[in-house]
Amino acid sequence: MAGLSFENYQRNQFLSSKGYAVPKATSTGTTIVGCKFNGGVVIAADTRATAGPIVADKNCEKLHRIAPHIWCAGAGTAADTEMVTQLISSNIELHSLYTNREPRVCTALTLLKQHLFKYSGHIGAYLIVAGTDPTGSHLFSIHAHGSTDIGYYQTLGSGSLAAMSVFESRWKLDLTKEEAMKLCSDAIQAGIWNDLGSGSNVDLCVMEAGKDAVLHRNYLTPNVRSQKANNYIFNRGATVVLKEKTIYSKLELVSEEVIISTPEERPEAMEVDA
Amino acid sequence: MSQDPSSINGGSAVAMIGKDCLAIACDLRLGSQSLGVSNDFEKIFNYGPNVFLALCGLGTDVITLNEVFRYKTNLYKYKEERTIEPETFANLVSSSLYERRFGPYFVSPIVGGINSKTGKPFICSFDLIGCIDFTKDFAVAGTATDQLYGMCESLYEPNLEPEDLFETISQALLNAVDRDALSGWGAVVYLITKDKVVKRLLKTRQD
Amino acid sequence: MNSIANRLACAGSERAAIHDQSFFSNFSTNNLAASLSPSIALPPISQPTKFLRANTDDSVNPDVKIKIAHGTTTLAFRFQGGIVVAVDSRATAGSWIASQTVKKVIEINPFLLGTMAGGAADCQFWETWLGTQCRLHELRNKERISVAAASKILSNLVYNYKGMGLSMGTMICGYTKKEGPTIYYVDSDGTRLNGDLFCVGSGQTFAYGVLDSNYKWELSVDEALQLGKRSILAATHRDAYSGGSINLYHVTEKGWKYYGNHDVGPLFWETKQAEGSFNNVVT
Repeated sequence: MAGLSFENYQRNQFLSSKGYAVPKATSTGTTIVGCKFNGGVVIAADTRATAGPIVADKNCEKLHRIAPHIWCAGAGTAADTEMVTQLISSNIELHSLYTNREPRVCTALTLLKQHLFKYSGHIGAYLIVAGTDPTGSHLFSIHAHGSTDIGYYQTLGSGSLAAMSVFESRWKLDLTKEEAMKLCSDAIQAGIWNDLGSGSNVDLCVMEAGKDAVLHRNYLTPNVRSQKANNYIFNRGATVVLKEKTIYSKLELVSEEVIISTPEERPEAMEVDA
Repeated sequence: MSQDPSSINGGSAVAMIGKDCLAIACDLRLGSQSLGVSNDFEKIFNYGPNVFLALCGLGTDVITLNEVFRYKTNLYKYKEERTIEPETFANLVSSSLYERRFGPYFVSPIVGGINSKTGKPFICSFDLIGCIDFTKDFAVAGTATDQLYGMCESLYEPNLEPEDLFETISQALLNAVDRDALSGWGAVVYLITKDKVVKRLLKTRQD
Repeated sequence: MNSIANRLACAGSERAAIHDQSFFSNFSTNNLAASLSPSIALPPISQPTKFLRANTDDSVNPDVKIKIAHGTTTLAFRFQGGIVVAVDSRATAGSWIASQTVKKVIEINPFLLGTMAGGAADCQFWETWLGTQCRLHELRNKERISVAAASKILSNLVYNYKGMGLSMGTMICGYTKKEGPTIYYVDSDGTRLNGDLFCVGSGQTFAYGVLDSNYKWELSVDEALQLGKRSILAATHRDAYSGGSINLYHVTEKGWKYYGNHDVGPLFWETKQAEGSFNNVVT
């Protein structure tokens, strides 16, 4: 990030002081979870993005790759989770190139928490970071203010309570990979069905020590839209067209428009000796 | 009425993907609250033959951002000696908006275009701070967002031929805008196929 | 109607609430009528005025919970051949167009019309209530109520509720033997004005623009109806909160006559074609 610009900040502060509300950003009213198992770690997320009461995206991606073996699930302000993980992903790659070592999960964790702390919660990213590195497999969660948490299982987002209830009742030590995947997808489903801010599908990512991370995009799709019995295709010509213009055609140059032209008369050359 | 910078001037836009084609459309109104000021305010801009951008929201920011993106895509063209692809442009829009994370432009953009290499149509929408919403069917923006979602969810069919897609997107926009006081006053549709772009001006209600 | 809302906002905010729940009986002479007439209970809070202002007046608080339908263009004018009344038919809640087919002229009785601007519910309720009051007057006095008296019943009523959030701007139009064709403008501030020509609502200025520049007393009935319709059309074009269709009425000594519902959609293009007007719109 070359740095954020605060150019419009004053203008917008003025606008809000005049009683203009700040428009809503897309937020991932979300369920995200993570769970460790014997030899690795799983993270999972639902795929609903909301803007107020509107479902803005029915199949968004909340699982972000930080490094090939380090993945991250994001809740909170959608743009923030996306941008902050992209930023840290870049820095991790540079760091790993520079040190000639596999990136570590705790490095990503530190980078993320230090960045978020610096912005004291204004960057609304709530993340579950997981991955494998030479020191083993790891699972953390980070809050927007910069605090972090370690555990065998983590849940975050508006559906975190529904998801946590699944872990609290069914989690045990030494899960197998399959058990952990089932537990995580069940926890996400608890969010999908019981939390209004979460919905649609389950995305899941398995990171096993010594193996490539496997992303199961749309691991479960329990909300497939049923086929319409009929359609609303209009007869051609239903819409009244006042004017038509071909503005580009590969076959022929239809029209050319000069957007900016240089002044016809060139400025006179500077007089050297007057 | 509603005191929100992105609904002072009004206006709406929608984009849809068809079979090897796409359509992007917007209304033409620019108002000042209840007063209609201009019926010639196009919110769709293009940066090369295959990249289109619809900008809804605060009028001043729509104009400013168009110029920002014209500047950036021109520089891109000089550096790369090729025009920008829609996917690349989407990321440019995203990072340009996120750069203003704490002092945003009050816009909701839609990007649409056909990738000149693969020939695949592409659309996506953004929130005001640059969160990309990739979609394979339709994208909506503006003061008639809610109405457009309703129209698109019911009218949209995948793999429509260009001329059928034109009817679908036009009817979706026209009927959505007729239920929004701040949008309307004319509409334009861009029908984009791999080697042809047609712009059509629609006949709409004028109230 | 914004101007009313704004003026309401300027009215003293600490006005004492009126706790007279049975003032309807003031207008009737027996108790039976009083028990049949509606009564509006005041909310059980210390200052209903403040509550309503905070929750319904969107010029004071932009994100009010209760959005009252505002935005309208209505007009009525007197001329040689009687009165022409013309209104649009759009109802909005915020920027959402709630309806394009609202009846904004209330037919109080065969000789009286009321127009609606401001709170749709306020106008609808109180003008139908006014209809019952006018009928009671007829029964009691064996004579049709005068337009002056009818409008005064309404203005006295809204004055009792002054500052409590009622929002209405209305024209009471009618014909009586002794008055001739008469228009009274009544609004929720308590204003009551007799006049020849009024436009009311968020699109009033646009309607005045057309009406004032083409109005004359000597207009024929057809010309007057056309002018009323044309003035509303101009307003529906420029004002976001006016639109839908136009309802036309003509009032004479024989009572009012309805001159149809005209959809602005096609009407606009017909008018543009016929007059060569609206040159800001491309065809």
